[in-house]
Amino acid sequence: MGTSVDLSINLGGLKMKNPVTVGSGTFAYGQEYNSYFDVSRLGAVTTKSLSLQPRAGNNPPRLVETPAGMLNAIGLQNVGIDVYLKEKAPWLREHGCTIIGNIYGASPEEYAELAQRLEAEGAADAIEANLSCPNVHNAKTARGCTLVAQDPELVKAYTEAIRAATKLPLFIKLSPNVIDIAEPALAAEAAGADAISAINTITSMGINPETRKPILSNIVGGLSGPAIRPVAVKLVWDLSKVLKIPVLGMGGITNASDAMQFILAGATGVAIGSYTFRHPTAAMEVIDGLEDYCQRHDVAKITDLVGAMEV
Amino acid sequence: MPGIVTCEVKMHQEVSPGHYRLVVHSPQLAGEAQAGQFCMLEVQAGLFPFLRRPMCFERIFKDSVSILYKIEGEGTRLLSRLTQGQTISIQGPLGKPWPLDESIERHIFVAGGIGVAPFPALAEAMIAKLGKTPEVILAARTESMLLCEEEFHQMGCKVHLATDDGSAGEKAFASEVLTRLNPGTGTMVHCCGPMVMMKATHVACEALGIPCMTSLEAEMACGDGVCLGCVVESTIEIEAERMVRVCYDGPVFESTLINWAAY
Ligand SMILES: Cc1cc2nc3c(=O)[nH]c(=O)nc-3n(C[C@H](O)[C@H](O)[C@H](O)COP(=O)(O)OP(=O)(O)OC[C@H]3O[C@@H](n4cnc5c(N)ncnc54)[C@H](O)[C@@H]3O)c2cc1C
Ligand SMILES: Cc1cc2nc3c(=O)[nH]c(=O)nc-3n(C[C@H](O)[C@H](O)[C@H](O)COP(=O)(O)O)c2cc1C
Ligand code: FES
Repeated sequence: MGTSVDLSINLGGLKMKNPVTVGSGTFAYGQEYNSYFDVSRLGAVTTKSLSLQPRAGNNPPRLVETPAGMLNAIGLQNVGIDVYLKEKAPWLREHGCTIIGNIYGASPEEYAELAQRLEAEGAADAIEANLSCPNVHNAKTARGCTLVAQDPELVKAYTEAIRAATKLPLFIKLSPNVIDIAEPALAAEAAGADAISAINTITSMGINPETRKPILSNIVGGLSGPAIRPVAVKLVWDLSKVLKIPVLGMGGITNASDAMQFILAGATGVAIGSYTFRHPTAAMEVIDGLEDYCQRHDVAKITDLVGAMEV
Repeated sequence: MPGIVTCEVKMHQEVSPGHYRLVVHSPQLAGEAQAGQFCMLEVQAGLFPFLRRPMCFERIFKDSVSILYKIEGEGTRLLSRLTQGQTISIQGPLGKPWPLDESIERHIFVAGGIGVAPFPALAEAMIAKLGKTPEVILAARTESMLLCEEEFHQMGCKVHLATDDGSAGEKAFASEVLTRLNPGTGTMVHCCGPMVMMKATHVACEALGIPCMTSLEAEMACGDGVCLGCVVESTIEIEAERMVRVCYDGPVFESTLINWAAY
């Protein structure tokens, strides 16, 4: 034992020294967690969703704990692209971090502009387009969907617009709230996406029986954490069966053996989300744990395990 | 710099029905923590409860800190089972310290129920760093919920008691007691307690024309400014700054910065 393991991956053109990143919105802009561990150890840092203008987000209360997880309706509060470029990206660059810039816009044009600016300023190494946030009020689409990610036609149009605006690896982040996740995923792939990120939070809600009021001011929010892990593993498996492009898997990962479930189901990369709130060093421990797993199983390259579930 | 420390429990006692004092050994926390800051306690290993619980520092000793808490729900009920010699994972210190203003002549604390928790540390800091001994209004629903009276007396603070049922001190609201103390120019009020009480104190201070600091509570996931879950609406009109994070920008805010209309 003690032989070195190759943890590096290529996620749709993004070279990562290990498969581990963080879920957008659970790591702010990276710097915040550097007092707990050297965040440049991550395969990549994924930023909070960035929009053209700063957003104040939804009214409080925005958050509630649930069994093995949490429900949130933040509403994409973020500093906006200008502040990110000026104040946040330089820190990540100085510290040698690989950056996945997550973006959110109200139209294909806004997404395209965000991607183009991140690339032009050298402020991201890959783009992850959040087409699946359950906490912002999108007008219903012509086909009655509330999220872009629920409508394969829209996914195609948005992906094409972003694709035309950037040469960076492009990840499309999808929602679990669909009948068949293969449809939007294949639409994104056909439109030039380099990877699929899955899953975003699951639409959900809570009610206080004493006051008879919704717990979140937004009424509905997104469920995350270990409670959603089995759903996420299944959807990653569904994706890996139909896609040629790789998958960045997430949903309830707390440790390396959780992460291995996603890798064996077909994910090339993994992201740690809400569990970082409970245990800020979780992502770093997953990196160490994956190396240990490979050694114990006599595997030289982590990529040999992608989709290696034995049925 | 916030960190995660595994601390040994030095003492854990029920101080009044449903209220506990937890003293943990941690030279690191004791060395770094300042009055007004808080920490996130991991109630137990495993996935229940999923999130840590925020608690402020009641006192900061040489190599230990104390936490004074009330059993509120399942998390604090489990916490109360922790025994001396066991360990607990604590993340902190978090948040901004309570601002200490040297130009202020008279400091009055307004504490409602378990909201008294940050004040013993603050009183000690004021006595040590400003050479000023604060006055304290301790308010609660009933006598058994009045906490820390003895500690404040030992520090030389003048203590005014108020209860909703009149079982101890005056039968009055804290904000009424405050107004009767005639706080004039050069006075600053420091308040922690239920939202309605902090709002009433803020309103009273506005009428008196004196500054008021409030220590807020909000449900928290990260405690570290990351998740944006713990925000309250401020009076700042710039869109990007309208929501302030209780955990990171606070928990102590000048009361005029908060939009109290929502409470
Ligand atoms: C900065 C800060 C400092 C605090 N300091 C103290 C202290 O020194 N002593 C003390 O007794 N209490 C303090 N509280 C409140 C304390 O955190 C809650 O009472 C506790 O989290 C309740 O947990 P529970 O599992 O027993 O209750 P449950 O009702 O089961 O909790 C469910 C969820 O609600 C949250 N929650 C419930 N009540 C509150 C509340 N009042 N404020 C914030 N979150 C809440 C919990 O964290 C948890 O996520 C503080 C809160 C904050 C934000
Ligand atoms: C508080 C919070 C904020 C989030 N914000 C974003 C966001 O801004 N953009 C995004 O694409 N996903 C966001 N997510 C979703 C996560 O990135 C992730 O997809 C999801 O939480 C599932 O992973 P987990 O169970 O490990 O948390 C957020 C999740 C949480 C809990
Ligand atoms: S608790 Fe996460 S930002 Fe305050």
